[in-house]
Amino acid sequence: MIQKKICLLGAFSVGKTSLIKRFVESIFSDKYLTTIGVKINKKKLSIADQDINLMIWDLEGEDDYTEINTNYLRGSAGYILVADGTRAKTLDSALSIHKMVQDLLGDIPAVLAINKADIEDQWLISPASINDIDKNLTVIKTSAKSGDNVEELFTTLSQNMVGTK
Amino acid sequence: MSATTLEKLYSELDFAVLSVCKNELMTCLTEPPSWFKHFYPSINKNHQLNQEELPGFLQHFMFDAENHWQRKQPGQLKSGLWVEEAPDGTEWLMEATAVLVEDDRLLLINLTDKDHGTHQKKQQLMRENLLTKEKLELEVHRRTQQIREREEEIAIRLISAAVQRDEETGAHIRRIGLYSAEMAKELGWPMSHVDDIKLAAPMHDIGKIGIPDKILQKPGRLTEDEFAIMKDHSRIGGEMLAGSGISLLNTASIIANYHHEKWDGSGYPDGLKGKEIPEAARIVAIVDVYDALVHERVYKKAFSESKALAIMDEMAQDHLDPDLFAVFLSIIDRIREIKDRNQDEEI
Repeated sequence: MIQKKICLLGAFSVGKTSLIKRFVESIFSDKYLTTIGVKINKKKLSIADQDINLMIWDLEGEDDYTEINTNYLRGSAGYILVADGTRAKTLDSALSIHKMVQDLLGDIPAVLAINKADIEDQWLISPASINDIDKNLTVIKTSAKSGDNVEELFTTLSQNMVGTK
Repeated sequence: MSATTLEKLYSELDFAVLSVCKNELMTCLTEPPSWFKHFYPSINKNHQLNQEELPGFLQHFMFDAENHWQRKQPGQLKSGLWVEEAPDGTEWLMEATAVLVEDDRLLLINLTDKDHGTHQKKQQLMRENLLTKEKLELEVHRRTQQIREREEEIAIRLISAAVQRDEETGAHIRRIGLYSAEMAKELGWPMSHVDDIKLAAPMHDIGKIGIPDKILQKPGRLTEDEFAIMKDHSRIGGEMLAGSGISLLNTASIIANYHHEKWDGSGYPDGLKGKEIPEAARIVAIVDVYDALVHERVYKKAFSESKALAIMDEMAQDHLDPDLFAVFLSIIDRIREIKDRNQDEEI
């Protein structure tokens, strides 16, 4: 079995921990509980007959006072950027983190999750701004609440990491 | 300090202290704190651990710690906080510190759980406040947009009222706003001011509402007295729009009042000269002349653009601001596009 480290990155309160909890434990809570530091979760996946042990690093979100500790990114095989569709600024944060990681680690696989798809009618991230995102970055609308596309999010990144997509 | 005292100190600080050998084995130097036994139930003082037995986060940190020790850097290297889940499902907030003491490579692991509650609460509160701030900013933006839309609606109604009594067409009025906004953009005005002039410029002749029909609609040339009354439209317009405290109307008032001032001081109402004339009014003077020249009027046919620009070039000696006219010429392609796209339909 191969082991791959991935990181979830984005602004605070966009749903990084909720996406992981939905993916790893199939649970969701509406209550916002901020992440402190880092927490590592594990999940086994099978991609094209290949077993993968995903080490999922849930990093504390960025805010005006907290920046990502770039040491945490070392050894990542891929990363998921997360934005909250109802908060336009979180897309800017995700894209700026994307650039920072590219500068640091080069072009490793990445996927952008725009979360809270269950309330897409309240989104402030416009279709035009989603359309403007670099086509090399796969964008997936997810809902940690309903579970929509959460499995697909992690599977897509894993497929990119093992080169089956 | 004796080894016993040091061990007591570590115990008081609730630290697990590991000595790291070069063969990746680690020895527990102290009697480990009780919380450490959630992760390693059988661990005791002098017990040896392999690095592979460490939690994933610590294994990752060991890379940085090795670098720190090898470079013999003074001071300590902290791992940053991480949450570790014990086999019994409980979560613990920890931090590790790498230090080099007389060539001994030490790894100190401490539980920050005692402070975790406070730290977590502070972070939680701070981030909830940030979320509230974001929501409030969004609401302010939404309300500001609403006010702006209302201002625009009022402006459009005022402009429509003025057009009813004037020979100018709706398309001319709209073009004046668009040309002016293009100039303002080129001059680097803030976007809110560009938006203001786009709606304010069309109101430049609104004071004509106060000019009697017999003069305003008189076919042929005005007498000297009639022209004196006609000239009063700039003052009337300026006063109509003044004093609201609304940025858009303030700009409109300035433009209405001063758009007939001339660069050499021979204009009206105040005979202002050069840059004494507000920039917004100097912009509107240029675009108003251009639009009048390139379109047909009851008293003249439309001039070609080259002829219009040649006439304006002459006017830039005394009537129009020559620097602003140069800016106007530099964006003539965009101006022409506005002219072509906005031909006579009603506003």
